[in-house]
Amino acid sequence: MLLLTPFAAAPWALSTDSPILLGAVSFVALLLLVIIFIGKVPLSYNLMNLRVRWMTTLMTAGAFTLVVWVQTFMLAFVNGMYAMTDSTGQPGNILILSEGSTDETFSNLGFADATDLETQEGVLKVDGKALVSRETYLNVVQPIPDPKPGRPMRRFLQVRGVDEPSLSAQVHGMKLQAGSEWFTDAGVREVGKTGETAIEVVLGDGIARDLGADRKRDVLALAKNNSRLDVGEMFDVGGRQWVVTGVMEPTGSLYDSEIWTKQSQIGALFGKPNYTTFAVRADPDFRKDQRESFLESRRQKAEEAYRKALAEREADPTLPKPTLEVIKRPTSDDAWGAELLRDYFANEYTKSRFSPQVETTFFSAMTATNLQFLIAILFLCFIMSLGGVFGVMNTMFAAITQRTKDIGVMRLLGYKRWQILVSFLFESVMLAILGGLVGCALGSLVDGYTASSVVSGGPGGGKFIVLRMTVDFSTLAMGMLLAVVMGFLGGLIPSLSAMRLTALEALR
Amino acid sequence: MSNAEKCVEVRNVHKSFRRGSEVVDVLNGLNLEVAEREFVSLMGPSGSGKTTLLNLIAGLDQPSEGDVIVRGEHISKMTESQLATWRTRTIGFVFQFYNLLPVLTAYRNVELPLLLLPLSASERKRQVTTALDIVGLSDRLHHRPGQLSGGQQQRVGIARAIVTDPALIVADEPTGALDFKSADEILNLLGELRNTLNKTIIIVTHDPRAAARADREVHLDKGQLVTTAQG
Amino acid sequence: MKYLFLVLENIRRNKTRSILTGLVTMVMVLVVTLVFTVLTALDKSMVEKQSNLKAIVTEKWQIPSMMPYSYASALSEGGAAPDDPDAARPEDYMSWGFFVGSTEENPAKRSFENLFFSFIMEPEKARTMLDEVDGLSDEEALPLTTAIQRMKDVPNGVIVGQERLDKMKKRVGDRITVFGRNYRDMNLELEIVGTFPREPARYADSSVISRDYFNRQLDAYQQSHNNKPHPMAEKTLGLVWLRLKDRKAFNKVSGQILASPSFTNPPVKIETSSTGIGGFLEAWRDIIWGVRWLMAPACLLTLSLVISNAISISVRERQLEFAVMKVLGFRPNQILMLVLAEALLIGTVSGLLSAGLTYLVVNGMGGLPFRIAFFPKFAVPLDALWWGAGMGALTAYMGSVGPARRARSVKVAEVFARVT
Repeated sequence: MLLLTPFAAAPWALSTDSPILLGAVSFVALLLLVIIFIGKVPLSYNLMNLRVRWMTTLMTAGAFTLVVWVQTFMLAFVNGMYAMTDSTGQPGNILILSEGSTDETFSNLGFADATDLETQEGVLKVDGKALVSRETYLNVVQPIPDPKPGRPMRRFLQVRGVDEPSLSAQVHGMKLQAGSEWFTDAGVREVGKTGETAIEVVLGDGIARDLGADRKRDVLALAKNNSRLDVGEMFDVGGRQWVVTGVMEPTGSLYDSEIWTKQSQIGALFGKPNYTTFAVRADPDFRKDQRESFLESRRQKAEEAYRKALAEREADPTLPKPTLEVIKRPTSDDAWGAELLRDYFANEYTKSRFSPQVETTFFSAMTATNLQFLIAILFLCFIMSLGGVFGVMNTMFAAITQRTKDIGVMRLLGYKRWQILVSFLFESVMLAILGGLVGCALGSLVDGYTASSVVSGGPGGGKFIVLRMTVDFSTLAMGMLLAVVMGFLGGLIPSLSAMRLTALEALR
Repeated sequence: MSNAEKCVEVRNVHKSFRRGSEVVDVLNGLNLEVAEREFVSLMGPSGSGKTTLLNLIAGLDQPSEGDVIVRGEHISKMTESQLATWRTRTIGFVFQFYNLLPVLTAYRNVELPLLLLPLSASERKRQVTTALDIVGLSDRLHHRPGQLSGGQQQRVGIARAIVTDPALIVADEPTGALDFKSADEILNLLGELRNTLNKTIIIVTHDPRAAARADREVHLDKGQLVTTAQG
Repeated sequence: MKYLFLVLENIRRNKTRSILTGLVTMVMVLVVTLVFTVLTALDKSMVEKQSNLKAIVTEKWQIPSMMPYSYASALSEGGAAPDDPDAARPEDYMSWGFFVGSTEENPAKRSFENLFFSFIMEPEKARTMLDEVDGLSDEEALPLTTAIQRMKDVPNGVIVGQERLDKMKKRVGDRITVFGRNYRDMNLELEIVGTFPREPARYADSSVISRDYFNRQLDAYQQSHNNKPHPMAEKTLGLVWLRLKDRKAFNKVSGQILASPSFTNPPVKIETSSTGIGGFLEAWRDIIWGVRWLMAPACLLTLSLVISNAISISVRERQLEFAVMKVLGFRPNQILMLVLAEALLIGTVSGLLSAGLTYLVVNGMGGLPFRIAFFPKFAVPLDALWWGAGMGALTAYMGSVGPARRARSVKVAEVFARVT
């Protein structure tokens, strides 16, 4: 039913990009309309029967409800994962890591690399300043104080040390919430009376909420904001106290789970003096005149690579099947700038060895875990739905046996075979729709709940994220589609057998 | 009639039912005696209460007031559990629509009540084959009801009714679903049960031919005995 | 058991219905069996052992853990001060570093397929300290011990798991060049000296190179780069495993290590391997919870509903029959038992069958190929047969108890009373 090629967005997103779902839904809707209005099928008879045998109706529909509910719930989780990776990244940004790094934690860049970078032509400059954010990214373990039983005992914090927070915010499109401030140049401040210092930090909205949940009741009661940590509050990491100077506006991206602080502070604290990442905003007009030729040459290269891989496979059939890389046309000036700048750093820039990536691509490539989960969940839901199909088959067989006389009478009155078929099919699909609607309604209740997970693009690296479970229209459509298909398949065989009875056989 | 000869004694029995919000008095102070080895037919128009009376005599229901005594036992005072055991041993029930279990063969259908008694498998086998012999169906032991005609099914029903050797046979419209010839055979069979096996027989019927076979006709109307005619 | 035939005949009566009910049971039990296969394996890995346990020492704050190799020798002593007579020492130890590289020279063509991931460790410890390998008999571990012997003569040897060997299309005896990715500019020329045994499947994709050899490579790098050490030179130790007799020893060694002045930059933490694994799996906590407490119960509930539906229909059809049986003298509870027995029979048999088939098929495939952390595959445990039968029976009971009661309370008199 689904083509499991990795889409950048969740494969079932109801948009012009996924004709599959749109087509399926329209087809079903059309079919139902035809049945109801055009076929002279005795639908009221079927609906009456559903009402009279309400207990059976409820139980059969109940099975559908459960299956659809489970699927909706699971898909909400995967949606959350995709939403995170999809909505992260500014279209005009490229991320530069050191050569060969796939993950920020393993990347190692020097100061000199940065200064030269800023002079490059394709880098966007605003008021004379190059939009290059120099960053050191690390994952820090934080034991959770007084963990509640059954809840996690430690947290893996995403910490990003930056040189100039306001510049980094500009590059990443992050803003501070009202009442927040960036940390000072020193990056520390004195707290308490004995001259202890706390490291100043700015929190993403998501991690602010997560850390806020650690607060004990008495602290919470006095807190300004009891849903998240706020300005002036403190927490412990790495043996030091950290103090919040501000919280960033939520963006629905992975950056909401980050803690930003002064690079010089955490570089020293965790022994990582070098940078790991340069986030660079590309000039949207960079090499504007070369856009078409660039696209053309990339497509040609992709085709050549494909042909070569095909030839290699012919020589050695054990090689995996090659796929043609689809080069999409960038959809905005920002995106064009990023692609062209990335290409420049990858192929022409020789002063340092970088591994540049378009930021949006970097994050959408982190869908490997998503896909694995998705496949596993769909597989399990598929098996469960088989159960639902057999269940409704049982119900329909019994109903038909019970109503054999009715069928005989209808045939006698002149109803045709196909009308009998459609009539009973309609009944089972109605059961399915009833159950499916309730299942979708229940499933949508999880929308907005948070859950933790890992997104990773490959071995070794990975971001521990807190995601928002999302039930959107497409998810609900998937749920209803599942229900209708189950109802249809389950009702098909019994309805076919009902159709086969002659009037005489039925009335005997 | 002396006490030793009485099979069934119904004393001043009242029975009412609730139909929705109404209370319907079906039997009003009914008295009846049936002697051992008597063949009695219960007759009456719709709503007269004859089926209700039958249920009381057969231990399927309890009267609202009054006493039912079968073979000296006050069954109207028994618990449901006691009645169940009592029914197996004392009553054989024959239905208008046979009420055989469609999944079971004739043999198994007849054996069914015997499973409730402490008999060994071979004893059961003996009794079942005897019963089926008496009704003349020894050649159809392993057929299912679906493979038997109406008359044959009713004979299986009668075999089941006698397999535990009960004293009293109670039949609810036993010929109601049968054609002329089969009905005749069944009525003959019932007569045999009384004559040869000394069973007491009570039948509820509309069929005058069936009534004619009885020793005595008992007529009910509106929950009261009306007349008794000697047959 | 003289009533058994009644139950069996009724199952036979409507074969379609019985088969469909059986199929639904099999399908739902399949889902729950697969789910529990994964969950029980994860749970078992997190059970705290009380004796013969392993502890892991890692960097305290950062992930990934990167410590200088100089920590290793002090850690292998359990952080014990050399002159302390009461110090507790571990019974065995193993140090791990990680070398990630590619067999593909051209950086543009590097992919998941030509990825090379290797432990940097003391080769002989692979036999005595690796989880699941340490439990093998000498006979089972023979390929590994042979390989370890070879490493003594071939310092640049590498032991590679069979699955990785197949992917690289290499055999024992071949030579490979690995271009370092996490150790930039370090390319290793290795000779494949052996492989892991097929069981356990955990190491089928892993490799082992000698720590001594690697350290010498680091020295060589320094010599060829103007005596400048490799940028990662002080970060080559990932973690250290310690084998400890019991919890008391663990607590003592913990205290020693945390108090020792040798491990301050970076600071370290020590935990039992089950705690460590538990921490690792924490990110999957919510989805594990969802599958365990929502999906599996939902399956069982759906199954009960479907069974309940099927049995209700059956009971409704047989009302007259039940009344007849009561007339004949069957007790109400006997009627209830008949209905329950029918459901339980179908449920238990289907559940057992489903679990059995799952066991045979999935294990025949080599296990469930769902990758979480370092579990490459999950084998269905034999216990699954019990779960299957149990789940089938339980859901059959839950689904049939309602209709069975309705069957029990069929009123004899009302069934026959006709207001005629």
